[in-house]
Amino acid sequence: MKLLKTGRWITGIGLVLLAAVYVRALAFTPVERFQGPAQKIYYVHVPSAVVSMMAMGLVGLAGILFLLLKDQRFDRFGEASAEVGTAFSVVMLTTGPIWAKPIWGTWWTWDARLTLTLFLFLLFLGYLLLRGAVTDPGLKARYSAVLGICGLVLLPFIHLSVYLFRTLHPQPIVLKPSAPSLPGEMLMTLLMSFVVFVILYVGFVMQRYALSLLREEAPHA
Amino acid sequence: MLRHAWYLARKDLLVEFRSRTAILSAVVFTVLVLMVFNFGRDPTAVAAVDLAPSILWVTFTFAAMLALNRAFQLELENQALDGLLLAPISRSSIYLGKLIANLVFVATVEAVGLPLFALFFNVSILHVLASLVAVIALATIGFVAVGTLFSAMTARTRFAELLLPVLLLPFMIPPLIWAVLATAALLAGRPLSEATGWLRLLAAFDIVFVTLAFVLFPATVNE
Amino acid sequence: MPEGVPQNSAFMIAAYVVTAVILVGYAVILYRRTLKP
Repeated sequence: MKLLKTGRWITGIGLVLLAAVYVRALAFTPVERFQGPAQKIYYVHVPSAVVSMMAMGLVGLAGILFLLLKDQRFDRFGEASAEVGTAFSVVMLTTGPIWAKPIWGTWWTWDARLTLTLFLFLLFLGYLLLRGAVTDPGLKARYSAVLGICGLVLLPFIHLSVYLFRTLHPQPIVLKPSAPSLPGEMLMTLLMSFVVFVILYVGFVMQRYALSLLREEAPHA
Repeated sequence: MLRHAWYLARKDLLVEFRSRTAILSAVVFTVLVLMVFNFGRDPTAVAAVDLAPSILWVTFTFAAMLALNRAFQLELENQALDGLLLAPISRSSIYLGKLIANLVFVATVEAVGLPLFALFFNVSILHVLASLVAVIALATIGFVAVGTLFSAMTARTRFAELLLPVLLLPFMIPPLIWAVLATAALLAGRPLSEATGWLRLLAAFDIVFVTLAFVLFPATVNE
Repeated sequence: MPEGVPQNSAFMIAAYVVTAVILVGYAVILYRRTLKP
């Protein structure tokens, strides 16, 4: 199957590029003076967070399109994006605390970023659980679409409330986390990492989509 | 549409209040929780005002979950949902009717819970009563609206009682947090301007999600 | 490294390892699931 083959190739390339980014980030990117090497966790945490959010957004979008156009392909895509998104959000959820501990001194805090990561993960989890719990394929697709759309709409609220919380309750800043204005080399590493994560997302989704097709052709016993 | 919704809500509420079991359990539960929290804390260690908002909202949330769990249970048990769907009323009326019934249920529990809360925790609420009621109303509408939509979907699944809270969790926590923060600000006597930020978020959330639920509900019951 | 820079490489390594494990792991899982079932 062509989709599967292409997906596998893209994933393979993505993994090789990931190794390259690793080398660049670990060995060839300067260490941040005040945060130390742990700051480099950013280069995997931020791209995974962005891709997770993108995945959720696409799940929601696929849901809207499915309900409007009744095309099963959108449902398959939503299913794929949700599973892949879950994987990335696990990366996000694990690297977050690992980064927080040395930088903020605690594994967890109900701060903006970490809270958002948890929510995103819960949304994906809920989506997958709902799909698992509904047996009728027509219902499954429609319910997933509904949930996906609600999840998508929820994201801006989470961002907003996180922003509002910050302005009302200024956080004591122990070590200032990397500001968006990163020096050139660091920014480059971050962008490269982001591109690689997107490549991986695409490869994964293609394979997962292909898997749905395979399952439909030859249903499991 | 409103009339249909109202009839539906009345039907649900009449069933509820005739049997009284659900509403009584919810009220008793609220009283229990408030009492336990009250006796469980050390008055000298923690000021009531600090803990109070969270406790209040925990009890209200449980009451809401109780209501939502039962929301579509009734129809499901008696295959009544098909009958409802065949009737010449719009799908949205069904949603609105369910929503109203659930809201009345939760509001009743809250109406009992709030004075008890003020009593047990010796918290003065009269001076901020209007704002407090606004916060409670807005937050309740928020999670009941989403909850009613989701309960339509989970009603037919296995483990419905388990699935609904899991699905609902990411949608309930933001309004809950905003409500707790607003309540805390109000009870602590902070100027109203601090609470308005959260109130606006709550209002925005309500408008967006009630509308969204209206739009999406037909997708959950159409063939 | 210059003086005063925190010595927290262990966390960096941990995060990078975890990320690699998850991403490679998922790739492997997908690969195996799509081998004609």
